[in-house]
Amino acid sequence: MTAPPLRARELRKDYPMNGETVHALRGVSLQVDQGEYVAIVGPSGSGKSTLLQLLGGIDTPSSGSVEVLGTRLDALGDPELTRLRLTRLGFIFQRFHLLPVLTARENVELPMAEAGLRRAERQARARELLDFVGLGQRADHRATQLSGGEMQRVAIARALANRPAVILADEPTGELDAATGQEILTLFRRLNRDGATLVVVTHDDRLAGEAGRVIHMLDGAIRD
Amino acid sequence: MTALTWGLKRLIRQPLRTALSLAGIAVAAAMLLDMVMLSGGIDKSFSDLLLRRGFQMRLTPKGTLPFDTEAAISGAAEIVDALRRDPAIVAAGAVLGTALYGRSADSLVTLFGYGIQPEAQSLYQVTAGEDLTAGDTVGVLVSEPAARLLGATVGDTVTLVGRLDPQVVTAAVGRRLLVRGVVRWLYDYRGQPSVGTVLPVMQRLAGQAAANGASLILVKAHDDAEVPALAARLRERFPQIEVNSVTDLVRHFRERLVYFRQLSYILGSMSLIVAVLLIATLLTIAVNERLGEIATLRAIGVSRRTVVAQVLAEGVALTLAGAVLGIALGLMTARYLDAILTSFPGLPAAFSFFVPRAGSLALSAFVLLVTGSVAGLYPAWLAARAPIAATLRAEAT
Repeated sequence: MTAPPLRARELRKDYPMNGETVHALRGVSLQVDQGEYVAIVGPSGSGKSTLLQLLGGIDTPSSGSVEVLGTRLDALGDPELTRLRLTRLGFIFQRFHLLPVLTARENVELPMAEAGLRRAERQARARELLDFVGLGQRADHRATQLSGGEMQRVAIARALANRPAVILADEPTGELDAATGQEILTLFRRLNRDGATLVVVTHDDRLAGEAGRVIHMLDGAIRD
Repeated sequence: MTALTWGLKRLIRQPLRTALSLAGIAVAAAMLLDMVMLSGGIDKSFSDLLLRRGFQMRLTPKGTLPFDTEAAISGAAEIVDALRRDPAIVAAGAVLGTALYGRSADSLVTLFGYGIQPEAQSLYQVTAGEDLTAGDTVGVLVSEPAARLLGATVGDTVTLVGRLDPQVVTAAVGRRLLVRGVVRWLYDYRGQPSVGTVLPVMQRLAGQAAANGASLILVKAHDDAEVPALAARLRERFPQIEVNSVTDLVRHFRERLVYFRQLSYILGSMSLIVAVLLIATLLTIAVNERLGEIATLRAIGVSRRTVVAQVLAEGVALTLAGAVLGIALGLMTARYLDAILTSFPGLPAAFSFFVPRAGSLALSAFVLLVTGSVAGLYPAWLAARAPIAATLRAEAT
């Protein structure tokens, strides 16, 4: 039996703030299975972005554990954890976070270059991914020359670059207008249909409505 | 995409910022290069000047350096003859330096006179006309400034008058001489009007004929390696004479100009510190501006090593490009500064304070490269330690 892409057990996260401790997460456990499309929703400050960061190994829990494909993240050193993020996880951020000095193609190539793919291979893959997100003709435009929707589509292509086991998206339509957000929605639907495992933190009801499972969070805990 | 190409793309695609950074680094690099050239250039230039004709030793009156005082070596011709008989010596020649006058229309102009032995001289290069011969007692060589002052050219006759000494009430000796050639005296300062005759003529003009006096005697040894031993032997043989090898003279000269060396060290160190601070500041600002970007890269799996390499590559690329510009700028400013410094009275015009050498260029480039790498360490550390989650949270708000 293969391990699920994501499993969290009793995750807690506390922050010190102004001399007091803020309990951002209060014992969250969840499992995401292969091919699932999970939406995490809840009001601001409910802990959903913190949960996503812990699931993605870019923050460490105060207690509890996260497993990606059966590997406990707390057992990994920084180089191994970084490698796992590079090869097993794909991240999409609300503000896209593309490198402005690079072109769309170079932004998509970057994780592949880091993973050690040869130039020809990563160029072909970047072209394929940009075609997939509908930006083949914009490949050589700098990130700053793209619209918000286009930047987010490049960010999605970048997240897919190393064929991750799970895609983690934090408010992917948060910076986009309704029409552009719809394009991202459509892309996510296609990705999931093609077998991708998606975990999306969102305020967007349409996006949440597309998910196979919706997790509601409140005050650092799952409510249903 | 390597860290270097990524860093280069960033520099190329932010041309204004890069140009301003390069300008700052280039100025610091130019100053460093100039100071490196200055610190070694004085010795090199002085040594080259003294060895221009291969004479490795200078014999002067006891306790003096060449043309330092008006003291003279007595019996110079006999000493030169003795030296020429020494098997270790290839050539020897006496030189008398003295102030004298030249007649120009109805007035006298001040000149500097060299009495030379043309068969063994290292003081001039003929630029027009011909050289003197050993027995030429009617010929004279003039420098360009002297020719202008006397209104004479090759083939003209000029009148030289020995120096008038108000303490000794004697009529000054005058002599009409034929201009054989125009020469460039190697040790003249810029614009110095100098003339040269064979030694006996100048001795008569300077009142040194009876003593057979000379200001210095030049000696060329067969082999450079023999010079220290030969110098020691000559010191024993002529205890009334100061025997200096070029190495000794360079040492004396260096002692006199020690403040230039100190100045070059201080200014060179300051330019290095400025370069380090400048590069470190530029990179730190760049890293701070890009903390969100760096946190994103770390989040998507870019290693600390790549991030550090990218920051260091950017620093090294900036430094290298700045060094290339700085070397060009440094060479230009060195020429300008050299022109100012060599116009100081008493310094040979052929002398240089700033001598460009492959070694000084390579040293400057190497020091700058190390500087760029060192300057990139703190911003690289800053980039490597950026907290991913906290930075992304801060970016999102």
